[in-house]
Amino acid sequence: MTSTTMDTATAELLTGSLRELFAGSAGRAVGPALAALGWAEVVAEDPAGATTLLFTEHGRALASSPALDAVLLAELDRVLPAGNGTRAVLYPYPDDGDQPSTVDGPVRGLLLAGLESVDEVVVPVRANGAVALLVADPAGCPAEPVAGFDAGSGWLMVSGWQPAGEPVPAAQPWERAVAAGRRALAAEIAGVCQAALDLAVAHTSARVQYGRPIASFQAVRHRLAEGHVAISDIASMLDAAWATAGSANGGAWAAAMTKLRAGRAQAEVMRHGVQVLGAMGLTSESEMHRHVTRAGALDALLGGHRLLSETTGRALLAGAPADPVVEV
Amino acid sequence: MTSTATASLATDLGAYRTSLRAYLNNGDALDRWRGKHHGSTEDRIAEHAALMAHLYQDGWNRYGWPAEAGGHGGDERHRGVLYDELSAAGLPVPDPQLMLETLGPAVVRFAPDLAARYLPEYLRGANWWGQGFSEPEAGSDLAGLRCRARREGEHYVLSGQKLWTSHGATASRFVCLVRTGTPESRHRGLSMIMVDAAAPGVSVRPIALASGYRELAEVFFDDVVVPADRLVGEEGQGWAVAMYLLQWERAMYAWQSAAVALRRFRELLGQVAGKPLPDGAATRIGECYGDIVALRARSVRTVRRLAAGETVGPEASVDKVLLATAETSLHDLARDLLGTDFVLGAGADTGDWRADWWFSRSATILGGSAEVQRTILADHVLGLPKEPRA
Ligand SMILES: Cc1cc2nc3c(=O)[nH]c(=O)nc-3n(C[C@H](O)[C@H](O)[C@H](O)COP(=O)(O)OP(=O)(O)OC[C@H]3O[C@@H](n4cnc5c(N)ncnc54)[C@H](O)[C@@H]3O)c2cc1C
Repeated sequence: MTSTTMDTATAELLTGSLRELFAGSAGRAVGPALAALGWAEVVAEDPAGATTLLFTEHGRALASSPALDAVLLAELDRVLPAGNGTRAVLYPYPDDGDQPSTVDGPVRGLLLAGLESVDEVVVPVRANGAVALLVADPAGCPAEPVAGFDAGSGWLMVSGWQPAGEPVPAAQPWERAVAAGRRALAAEIAGVCQAALDLAVAHTSARVQYGRPIASFQAVRHRLAEGHVAISDIASMLDAAWATAGSANGGAWAAAMTKLRAGRAQAEVMRHGVQVLGAMGLTSESEMHRHVTRAGALDALLGGHRLLSETTGRALLAGAPADPVVEV
Repeated sequence: MTSTATASLATDLGAYRTSLRAYLNNGDALDRWRGKHHGSTEDRIAEHAALMAHLYQDGWNRYGWPAEAGGHGGDERHRGVLYDELSAAGLPVPDPQLMLETLGPAVVRFAPDLAARYLPEYLRGANWWGQGFSEPEAGSDLAGLRCRARREGEHYVLSGQKLWTSHGATASRFVCLVRTGTPESRHRGLSMIMVDAAAPGVSVRPIALASGYRELAEVFFDDVVVPADRLVGEEGQGWAVAMYLLQWERAMYAWQSAAVALRRFRELLGQVAGKPLPDGAATRIGECYGDIVALRARSVRTVRRLAAGETVGPEASVDKVLLATAETSLHDLARDLLGTDFVLGAGADTGDWRADWWFSRSATILGGSAEVQRTILADHVLGLPKEPRA
């Protein structure tokens, strides 16, 4: 089933509001701005449609905020003691996919925004092979701004932290939270990709060489068409992922496949996007690079496509059923 | 099955799926069609037709087709479920169902009388049809076709040639796109017509793929007399009928292929289990599985749209591109995982993979090549400035 119940007019209205919102606020200010918009009700009404819309626009705007935290916390809060103010999530270091650090050593991970106005950090850890959660005091958390590929992410790297706290067992909530996070990230990657493709279409339709717009050359047209296929692929995978989101493990398998496909899609869209812009594509003069680096960062979060391909393949070789994922 | 039970399965897709699944997995009646290797296309298609007869007798492949054409009612989703459940039960999707998906809906829509007369025997596996579109000089540029039909009273007289007709060597009828207008009329002067393979003046020459399997044929028409009531749609409406038909050719073919691909993927994993695999095999397996799942996710949307009576336009090219990607990916994976065995091995399983590998190369050619699909998306979905015409 298509999971969204939102009609086109509502979706258009909300899209407009979100665009304004992301143009005006960033970082931790996004949470209160969404609350003022009554976003919680929109999500309650139609989780699939609302989440996909929010993160697609987040991606399209190249917004930098911890909006994803709320998606994971919706699952994690269920097993945690009642919240005390604003919570942030510590994400596993990307190389580890959805596997957090072990409880007995220093933890490392990513934060999506600074901790200035944060009261508690929810830290997933592995204890005896299963995931548990610590609710830690942000004071003393060694968080350094990420200085990597994507200069605009606003993310922070945490390493060598020894947070105190009593681990709360959370194997299934964590699995569900990761699944929800992957669906949101896939939508966000789709938004970044669509913005990049729009940019490439506009550029190649306007730029003239050999007396014609370069978008009339077949090699260019076919690259753009492939970009469109890759983005459409994310949208239909999201349908499939949301169709199983209500199951006990939160639709973990379909969500992982969706994130995998989104990761591959961004690699494809960005490769073509950069190529068809010519020299301009690799400069800071064009906006293209911001899409390339953001999509790369989002791909890495909660498991990049290469890692997910490998873990999926290993699971299948070890006898996991080749789930059809989609039924008519 | 009682007619009330039949009626309820036609309206309740979930119940159809559950009952069909139980039927397919009940006992060994269908084992004749499981895990079979066929030495020739002719053997395979005959066995598959026998499977259709079996399914028809118990009603299962009649859902999704209207009662007037021998069906039990229901829509495209029933057909989608049939292909999926057959594959999940380790059974083949019968070969003739492929051209049935391509040609059936257009005949039902534009020639209900012909559908009433001939579709039931198709569903029964008694005979099947071929699609006569391509010609030696009309491949990607279909509108350049030259096979002519001239009207003579209550008949048309056909002369010319078709090429690359799937199942052509064994089909009893051909649904052909022919020229009824002037040679220069391009897509305006075309008509669709159903021709009996047994009619005087029709000759068929099978064409073997590189695997040795005679999957295709070349069909010649030498002043073949065809009753005018065999038209599918009006004279001159052929292009519109072909475009209508293309919706199913792209969408249902994609779904069928995805169902079969998932079965073959599972079989491949079973065949390589415990064997040494090349570096990077796990990643390749994960990626290929992703290609198949992505095709399913896209295709199911389109199947549902067709079932809802929506018109599927140029965006169906996305399905076709994903289909070609998955087919190519699966068969290249099989080739690489089987390694030297693929090249030199004598086993029947390996032989099937080799034949399938050759066939999989057609995914980027038939029904509009990979390049043609990208051009459709560029023109009609992205709205890019057009390529200058030659
Ligand atoms: C297994 C199989 C089954 C088939 N079954 C049927 C059937 O049942 N009935 C039927 O009618 N036909 C059938 N076909 C034929 C099929 O539809 C044609 O092969 C297809 O339309 C391409 O035509 P062609 O082979 O003449 O290739 P061509 O049109 O000659 O194309 C050759 C190459 O040139 C490229 N090319 C052509 N034009 C352009 C362009 N404008 N821009 C960029 N590249 C271009 C193509 O993409 C392709 O790579 C079948 C083909 C195969 C392989």
